[in-house]
Amino acid sequence: MLLLIAALLVACFGVAAHLEPQFQGWRGSRSTGDVFNIALGDSRQMFANSFYVKADEYYHSGYYPTIFDDNAAFKTAHMAEDTGAVTTKNHGDEHGFLGPTRNWIDALGRHFFPDHHTHLDEGGPTDDLSTSQNVREILPWLKLSADLDPDNVQTYTVTAYWLRERMNNVREADAVLHEGLRNCPGSYDILFELGRLYYESYKDRDRARNVWEEGVRRWLMLNADEWQKLNSDPQGRPPVTKIIAAWIAMPKDLNDQQKDNPLVMEQLTTHLGKVAEDDGNLPQAILWFEAGQKVSETPDVLQKQINDLKYKLGQELNPVLKPLY
Amino acid sequence: MSTILKTEKLRVEFRSREMRQATKVALLGLDLEVGTGEIFGFLGPNGAGKTTTMNVLLGFVPPTKGAAYLFGIDVRQPIARQRIGYLPEMTYYYKFLSAEELLRFYGKIFGLSRAVADRRIPELLKLVELEHAARRPIKSYSKGMQQRVGLAQALINDPDLLILDEPTSGLDPLGRMKVREIIQRLKNEGKTVFFSSHELGEVESVCDRVAIIHQGELKAIGRVADITGSHANLEKAFLEIIGYQPQPAS
Amino acid sequence: MNNIFAVAGVVIKELYRRKDFYVLFIVTILICMVMASVNIFNDAKIVRYLKEISLDLIWLCSLVIAVTTTARQIPAERENRTLLPLLAKPLTRAQLILGKFLGCWLACGLALLCFYAFFGALAASREHHWPLLNYVQAASMHWFMLGVIVAFALFGSLVFAAPSSNSTICFVLIGGILFVGRHLDQQALKLSEPARTLVDCIYFAIPHLEFYDMRDLVIHNWPLIGWEYIGVALLYAAFYMAVFLLAACVVFRRKPVN
Repeated sequence: MLLLIAALLVACFGVAAHLEPQFQGWRGSRSTGDVFNIALGDSRQMFANSFYVKADEYYHSGYYPTIFDDNAAFKTAHMAEDTGAVTTKNHGDEHGFLGPTRNWIDALGRHFFPDHHTHLDEGGPTDDLSTSQNVREILPWLKLSADLDPDNVQTYTVTAYWLRERMNNVREADAVLHEGLRNCPGSYDILFELGRLYYESYKDRDRARNVWEEGVRRWLMLNADEWQKLNSDPQGRPPVTKIIAAWIAMPKDLNDQQKDNPLVMEQLTTHLGKVAEDDGNLPQAILWFEAGQKVSETPDVLQKQINDLKYKLGQELNPVLKPLY
Repeated sequence: MSTILKTEKLRVEFRSREMRQATKVALLGLDLEVGTGEIFGFLGPNGAGKTTTMNVLLGFVPPTKGAAYLFGIDVRQPIARQRIGYLPEMTYYYKFLSAEELLRFYGKIFGLSRAVADRRIPELLKLVELEHAARRPIKSYSKGMQQRVGLAQALINDPDLLILDEPTSGLDPLGRMKVREIIQRLKNEGKTVFFSSHELGEVESVCDRVAIIHQGELKAIGRVADITGSHANLEKAFLEIIGYQPQPAS
Repeated sequence: MNNIFAVAGVVIKELYRRKDFYVLFIVTILICMVMASVNIFNDAKIVRYLKEISLDLIWLCSLVIAVTTTARQIPAERENRTLLPLLAKPLTRAQLILGKFLGCWLACGLALLCFYAFFGALAASREHHWPLLNYVQAASMHWFMLGVIVAFALFGSLVFAAPSSNSTICFVLIGGILFVGRHLDQQALKLSEPARTLVDCIYFAIPHLEFYDMRDLVIHNWPLIGWEYIGVALLYAAFYMAVFLLAACVVFRRKPVN
């Protein structure tokens, strides 16, 4: 009996060793060696999404609506909304999504789970601001979500934001964003966040500018017809300021993809405007803010900034000129 | 001599859950009395109603009609079992316990104090010759050893009445002899033993009185000598009483 | 009472002499150790995911121990024929049921002590503080919930044909109550009569085991719950334990022993 088992084991090992080189040559996801891909297939995106939501649940210290509760105020994860880089779809009551108590069982039961709305970076359940670094607790779920769905851009930007902003862990944030660029090449969201990292953490305006300009190019590329017109320079790759000036002059014609995410273009252009202003290049700053106006939902705010810049520019050109307003 | 065990017109019927199957009558108005200090043999062929009678006495099965008493207490009261010991035909005990732990457990149920149990358990283990295996789990015991554990647990509370269901079943001749010795010793101590057996030779040598039951009816009851009567031995008397007709040799 | 404690003692001995608990405990430790060794952005202070994983495992293991240990008590006694010599003693059937319940419940409690001690050590290794009272609240609520489950499984072992079917039904019901029990009344509003009334009745009749799930509060370091609410919840659990045990005693009294 033992001899038979030993013989079977040897046979299995031999067959496996014989098939292994052929297996490596097979096409398809099996050959990539990604264990999540192999084990879960396309359902990994479903798991990735649920872990992303889990991270938001952790952001709220467990106070989170189930599928049976009113989750209109949680359509966009608050941990993403609070980064300032995401267009929100939230409306409704984020504090009272449970509604009034329905009966004595409901009333008793509410004592045994988290009962009020808090954010980890704002002190959590105890309102203790010294614990704001507890936002680190969302990171494992974001990491897992990114591993399961490497194509989800927002996971990288949200992770990097909190690593940089609250954890002061700039190196890790940098690594996350570069990993995101490897998996999602040319993502303007990731490029914007990377630029923020260079600008705010490394104080490197040049790198930030380069990255943001690339982000602007990528966003404009979403409209292929428009891009063809903008990018048609017989001398090769035109500078982005030239492109943006031409774009401003065109009538506003955002395609569906651009309409889905105008916020990132507004942020790219306004940040580039700020960099240009810091560099003292006021005409360029005005150009960027005008580009931002084209996609902004609050163009008046940007107009005021443009006016301020024009005033400064006017004073520089002719210090004698008094302001008309 | 006072009556220690009594049944009055004991009738037990088992109603079948299946339709079209008749109710089975296991006991037909059994009247039985066993006095203090007797060794009483309860005989009958398979399916006669011996085990059913024991089950009623032990409170496992409620009587359909009639009554049964132990020490004058209705058998349906748990207190009726305070002074009895029971050895079932098939001995199964908690395999993960050792003999000592099992006896201690049953001793607690009988309300034995720790001091009494500490004294009594080694005595019983010595009586049934299991001192060497007292701390081993019962699952490692042979059948004979398990039977001896069964005997020990039946004696843990120093019972006045011992009910044994085929106590020598499955034992080798040495084991059977030891059981007979224990029964005799109990008689000498004034205990009452009520047991069923198919070993009529043993019954003949040990019992004071016997009862023979067949198809739920009591066929004969009395002293062994009276039952045997003019027959050569108890076995021949038994066969005649239950109406066995030997097949002629062809 | 001595009889009840005697029977309970045998049940506890059975638990710690079987391999089930040790296997589950070791598997839990191994999984938690592996999870703890994962490098997450070089931050050694991240702890809540670990607390959640370990608590989830503790809940799963405790439910498995409670249901499987209890579901096999009476059927195993019948199958192994240990029931006959037991009931031949001055032990009532109700005492046997109560003894089995107490034994299973105490055994679950001992298992929980080990699990929560491990959990506390794991959390303290990263958080460097030990909210002992919070853990006491969570563990006692958990234990009382297991008491309700043990009582129900004991009743089920007398009603359902086999331990496997009893265990399956128990797990399905427990899972259903934990996940949707809280929301049944809301869902009832979306139904028409008579389904609405039926679902409402179910909502009020079932033991709301989700009360006893304080994992979120422990994981996210919420403050202590008022002890008066804990007291009410424990009484609520005791009520359901009594109901299921009474039902079990009534059913067992009518069951033939052999």
